[in-house]
Amino acid sequence: MSAELACLRLAVLFYFAASVAALLGIAVRRETPRAVMPRLLGIGLVLHTAALGLRSAHAGHPAVTTFDEALSFLALLLVAIFLVIQFRRPLVALGAVVSPLAFGLTLAADAVYAGARPLPPVLDSVWLPIHVGLAFLGDAVFALAFSASLLYLVQERRLKAHRGPSLLRHLPSLETLDRLNYACLVWGLVLLTLGMVTGIIWAHAAWGRFWSSDPKVLFSFLIWGIYAILLQGRMIAGWRGRWAATLTIAGFAVLVLSLVGVNVLALGNHGKAF
Amino acid sequence: MERAIVLVGLNHQSAPVAVREQVAFQNGQLGPALRRLMDLDGVHEGTIVSTCNRVEVIACGADATRLSGLLPRFLAGEHDLAEAALAGHLYTHADREAVRHLFRVAASLDSMVVGEPQILGQLKQHYAAAAEVGASGRVLHRCFHKSFSVAKRVRSETGIAEKAVSVASAAVELARGIFDRLAGKSAMLLGAGAMGELTARHLLAQGVGSLMVANRTFERAIDVARALGGMPVPWDGLSRTLPLADLIIGAASGDDFLLGPSALEDALRERRRRPIFVIDLAVPRAIDPAVNALDGVYLYDIDDLEGVIADNRGSRAAAAAKAETIVEAEVDAFWGWFTGLDVVPTIVALRDKLEALRQRELERTLAALGELDPKHRQAVERLSVALVNKILHVPVTTLRRHQADRAESFYIEAARRLFRLGSDADATDDDDAEE
Repeated sequence: MSAELACLRLAVLFYFAASVAALLGIAVRRETPRAVMPRLLGIGLVLHTAALGLRSAHAGHPAVTTFDEALSFLALLLVAIFLVIQFRRPLVALGAVVSPLAFGLTLAADAVYAGARPLPPVLDSVWLPIHVGLAFLGDAVFALAFSASLLYLVQERRLKAHRGPSLLRHLPSLETLDRLNYACLVWGLVLLTLGMVTGIIWAHAAWGRFWSSDPKVLFSFLIWGIYAILLQGRMIAGWRGRWAATLTIAGFAVLVLSLVGVNVLALGNHGKAF
Repeated sequence: MERAIVLVGLNHQSAPVAVREQVAFQNGQLGPALRRLMDLDGVHEGTIVSTCNRVEVIACGADATRLSGLLPRFLAGEHDLAEAALAGHLYTHADREAVRHLFRVAASLDSMVVGEPQILGQLKQHYAAAAEVGASGRVLHRCFHKSFSVAKRVRSETGIAEKAVSVASAAVELARGIFDRLAGKSAMLLGAGAMGELTARHLLAQGVGSLMVANRTFERAIDVARALGGMPVPWDGLSRTLPLADLIIGAASGDDFLLGPSALEDALRERRRRPIFVIDLAVPRAIDPAVNALDGVYLYDIDDLEGVIADNRGSRAAAAAKAETIVEAEVDAFWGWFTGLDVVPTIVALRDKLEALRQRELERTLAALGELDPKHRQAVERLSVALVNKILHVPVTTLRRHQADRAESFYIEAARRLFRLGSDADATDDDDAEE
C-alpha cells in the first residue's frame, strides 16, 4: 500500500470515529464526545490533505481529475469548511451529518480507487485548479446547506410533534439552521457562478467556443437555476423554514445526480476527463 | 464519651404550609434564636435552616437522646407553640442519618422540585448566619462545607439540575429549540393570570427583549404591564401588534378561542414567515389547536408543557438514584472523620504515632552506636520511653480534661493537626480548599 493510500485510509477511519463521536454527542449528556469530534475531524483532515498532496506530487498535477479524486476532494473541502464554522460556533449536530458524509465520500473514493493517471493534454492548464477548486468549493458549501436543511426538518418535526427537547437536545435552533442555510446558499451560488464562469473562459481558451452541450454544463445550469430561484424566493418572497429546507435538499439531490451520473456514465468532456 | 449530631425539622412533605409558616424564622429572628439555641445545656454547636419549604435545627452535643428531646421543645418554644402542636410533623435524624439528611437537602434531593438550585444558596446563607454569631464550630463547619461540595459533585456528575423544572422554564427550553437567542425577541402576553405572568417574567429574565401585554380590559393590561416591565397594547388592534410577537403566551380563557389560524396566518405573512412560538397556558384553551398546522407556528398547550416536564422528571429520577450513591459515599467519609474526633481514639493515635517514632529513632541510634553492653542499651531505651511519656503527658491530660465540654473538639482538632494524626492530614487540605 502506498503512503498516499495509507493516509487516505487513516483519514477514512478518523472520519468514521468523528461520526461516532458526533452522534454520541447529540445523544448523551457528557461533554467528551462533543469536544473530541472536531479534533478527530481535524486529524482526518490533515491525513486527507497529505493523501491528496502526495498524489498530486506523484502525478505532477492537482489530483482533482479522476472520479475517486473528485470524491475525495469534495470530502476534504466539506470537512475544512465545516471546521471553520465549528471553530466559530460549535454545532455538534451539523458534525453528525457532515462527518458521515465525509466518511461515505472518502470510503467511496477508496472503493473506486484507481491511482493517479497521466493528465490528458486538454486539461493541462492553469485553469484546472481554479475552475475545479471553485466548482467543488461550491458543491461543498451546498452539501453544508443540505446538512443544515436536513437538521432543520428533523428539529421542525420534533417541535411540531411536541416531543420536547429531551433526547436530541443538541440540535441547533430552527433560527440558527435557517440562517446557516441562507448563508450557504449565498456563498454556494457565488462559488458555483465563479466556477461556471471560469469553466466557460477555459472552454473558450481550449476550444475557441464558450458553449458546449456537455451534460455537466447543462446540469450545472439546472442546479444554478434551482439555487438562484431558491435564493430569490428567500430574498424577495420571504421563503424560509420547511419550504426552503425542502427545496435546498431537492437542489442537492440534483447536484449529487449530476456528480455521480456524469462521472459514472462518463458523459461529455467532464465525464471523460475523470 | 458520646458525641452526637441531631437534626430536627419539618419540610413540605411532613407538614402543610399552615404549619411551616408558623415555625419559620424571619431574617431578623435568626441571630437571637441561634444564641438561645446555644444557651441550651448540652448544645455545643447549632445551626438553623429556614426556607419556605423547610425549617430545620441541627445541633451538635454530647448526647443524642438529650438533643432529640431538646430541639423540638426549642423549636416550639421559639414560636410560642405547644410542643404537641408540632408532633406528627417533625422528623428527627440522629448521627449518620442527620448528616445524610443535610447532604440530601444541599444536593436538592429533598426538595419539592428535585434538582432546583436555590436551596444551596439558602443553606450557605443560614450557615453563614450561624457562623457569624459563633454558633457553629468545627463539626458543623465541616459538615456544612462538606454538604456544599456534595451538592456541587451531585450537580456536575449527575446533571440533575440541567432540566427544566417548571412550566415556565419548560417554555424557555422549547423556545431555545426555535430561536437562536432570546435576546431581541419580543413576547406578547394575552390575558392575565399567575401562570401567564410567571412565564412572561421568566422569559424576560432569560433575555427576551420586550413584552407586550393585551387584556380585554385595558386598565388590567396597564397594571400587568407595569408590574412586569412590559408595554400594554390595545385588545382591539391585536392584528396590528400580533406580527411583532415572536412568542405568544395565551393566558385567558373564554367561550371562544382568542386566536385562530386565520389571525396567525395573517401575522405570519406580515412577518415574512419568521417562526412564532405559541404557549397556551389557559384551561380551557385560549388558542385554537389548529394553528399548530401552520408552517412556522409551534403551539404548545399546558399538557404539552407538562409532558416536557414529565420527561425531564423521568431522567431526573435516574439522576437522583446516582446522586444518592454519591451522598452515601460522602456520608461515610464524613462519618469516618467525625468518629475519629473522639478523645479516646485521638489519644490512642497520638500514642501510636509517638511510639512508632520512638521505635524508629531508637533503632537508628542503636545501630549507629554499634556494640553496646546491655546496661547502656537499657538506659538508652528508658530514655526514649521517658521522653515520649513526658511529651505526651500535658497533651493527653488536657484532652482528657476537656472531654465532653465545648472546647473538646478544638483540642482534638489541634492535636490531630499538630501531630498529623490518621486520615486528618488529607482531610485538613480538603477543609482549607473549601474555604
